[in-house]
Amino acid sequence: MNEIEKIKDALKSSNAEKIVAFVRKESEPREVLKVLSPNEVDKISFSPLSLNNPAKLLMQINGKVAVVAKGCDSMAIRQLIKEGKLKRENLFIVGISCKGVVDYRKLAKFVNLSEVNDVELNGNDLVLKLKNGEKRIPFLEVVDENCLYCGHPTPVIYDVLIGEPREGKRDFSDIEQFERLSREERWNYWISQFERCIRCHACRSVCPLCYCEECMVDPSNLAVSPMSTPEEKASYPRILGKTVNARDNTIYHLLRVLHHAGRCVGCGECERACPMELPLRMLERKLEKVVVEIFGYDLNEDIPFFSKLDIVGD
Amino acid sequence: MIYEGEFLKDAISKLLADGYRVFAPSRVGDFHVFREISSAEEADFNYILPRNSAKVAVFPQNEILIEYGDWIERVPMEEKRIAIVGVRACDAKAIKLLDKHFLEGFVDPYYKSRREKLLTIAIACNNALINCFCQSLGINPRKPEADVVVSEIDGRVFVSADTEIGKSFLQGFNLRNENEEELEIKKRFESEELKMREIRVDVEKLKKSFDSPYWKEVAINCKSCGVCTYLCPTCFCFDIYDEGEKRGVRIRTWDSCQFPLHTLESSSHNPRAEKWQRLRNRFYDKFYYTLRKGNYYCVGCGRCIDFCPAGIDIVNAISEVR
Repeated sequence: MNEIEKIKDALKSSNAEKIVAFVRKESEPREVLKVLSPNEVDKISFSPLSLNNPAKLLMQINGKVAVVAKGCDSMAIRQLIKEGKLKRENLFIVGISCKGVVDYRKLAKFVNLSEVNDVELNGNDLVLKLKNGEKRIPFLEVVDENCLYCGHPTPVIYDVLIGEPREGKRDFSDIEQFERLSREERWNYWISQFERCIRCHACRSVCPLCYCEECMVDPSNLAVSPMSTPEEKASYPRILGKTVNARDNTIYHLLRVLHHAGRCVGCGECERACPMELPLRMLERKLEKVVVEIFGYDLNEDIPFFSKLDIVGD
Repeated sequence: MIYEGEFLKDAISKLLADGYRVFAPSRVGDFHVFREISSAEEADFNYILPRNSAKVAVFPQNEILIEYGDWIERVPMEEKRIAIVGVRACDAKAIKLLDKHFLEGFVDPYYKSRREKLLTIAIACNNALINCFCQSLGINPRKPEADVVVSEIDGRVFVSADTEIGKSFLQGFNLRNENEEELEIKKRFESEELKMREIRVDVEKLKKSFDSPYWKEVAINCKSCGVCTYLCPTCFCFDIYDEGEKRGVRIRTWDSCQFPLHTLESSSHNPRAEKWQRLRNRFYDKFYYTLRKGNYYCVGCGRCIDFCPAGIDIVNAISEVR
């Protein structure tokens, strides 16, 4: 029985009211997330092009949900449970031991995507079934770079596990290498990156942990009510405007990332979503390194990082 | 007419020498963005579609409307001429659509100050991307609407101008007339359709489907980010606010109808509080509301499909409306 059949069987056994799973997009080889009813289970698909993290989608569904989750997806689900945003008893998690996903933009350089019918991982090669024939690409050349540093390829929480468990690793070698640059070099690097940002806020919007209804980068509307005077409305708190330049964009990204301290699960959705290809994972990984090395916190602990800081403070 | 050499690069050098502000595709890592350049070397034409659209040249993401102190101290207006070099048929068409929005009826003086001094140099498409669908919206990717059009066919560079400003710009170049064979080649090139996706728009159906649960289904995975609107060549929504209490600037910035705060009223009421309402609004704005201006406001560039982090696809969403 192949992987997809196993996933379908597991989903069928779940008795969930809704299914959150990957479905092949029309006209492109990648999968997208859909919310399905149990009788639509045969629509589902799964491949190294099942890129996205379903955790955020779960928060908007009531009742019992079955979900297909890779290692990092399960990390996000566990974190949301930890933070009281999801209930474990409402979830049926079909965990998939993940070998890494493809960087879709890299893949597009190797092949005309509209020619690709199917994609599968075979040993160290990504096998593309084309309209005419087959093409093999070494997986390492098209793998999402983020997956090379994956700490949890095997789901950390699941009801059914598909595939053999795989070892993760903790590797900050890339960050250490960057830290060796001078302060000026690092600053110039980041400014040249942030300069490009168009502030579409996709990195925030796709992040499974960015669930606040009101975000500090938006003009806060807490202060505005029907009774607010024009002066109050004109001077409501605002940390950042919508102006786009290297300076404001830097504030945006640093503020955004700091809210993920001890929380970021490393799924890479932020970087994947960025239309300007900013190296956003590098920021998150630096933060993760600080959390591990300076605060001695491990994401696998039951207590959230910020709560732990409170206890230490008392 | 035929040009021997790299027309686009030579055009940029001439434009810069003539004092134009030049916007052209420039390489960033593995992709291209339209941005202002200061030398021909910064431009790179090895691309099909830049990540962002050419609208940045006429409708910048931020602009200062007034500088104020005790009173209005300065109203900055564009003084230089602007050129967009290397624009594709979709983005060129989009500028015509922005013109309708900003110049018909209420005239936006800031937009006008840039637009009336604009020169567009377009490049015909040899290939389509996976999510291109301009042909089904009546655009010929091989015959862009611009002041100057460049087509590179089998190693020959064809250059033509349809407007006065385009014709007078070309006078500075050493061009020769096409021979009959070349005329035939160009004609064939322009009439050949590219293989690309097709959108089926049924306005009557759209009208009837406004309250359909379909939109909730389409939007279920929408993240309410601004990728689709910010990359869109025809999206024109903006926000205006002041920075600085006693002294400061009044700024106009792009805004996105996908952001919940876009429609939040000061009464606290939000007419489009739910993300499916906002996504539906964008689709209707492209294919129904804007018909009062006489056009669909979608040019089929496919950027919103390529870069939607949730994989929402305007071609499927509109074609399958129910």
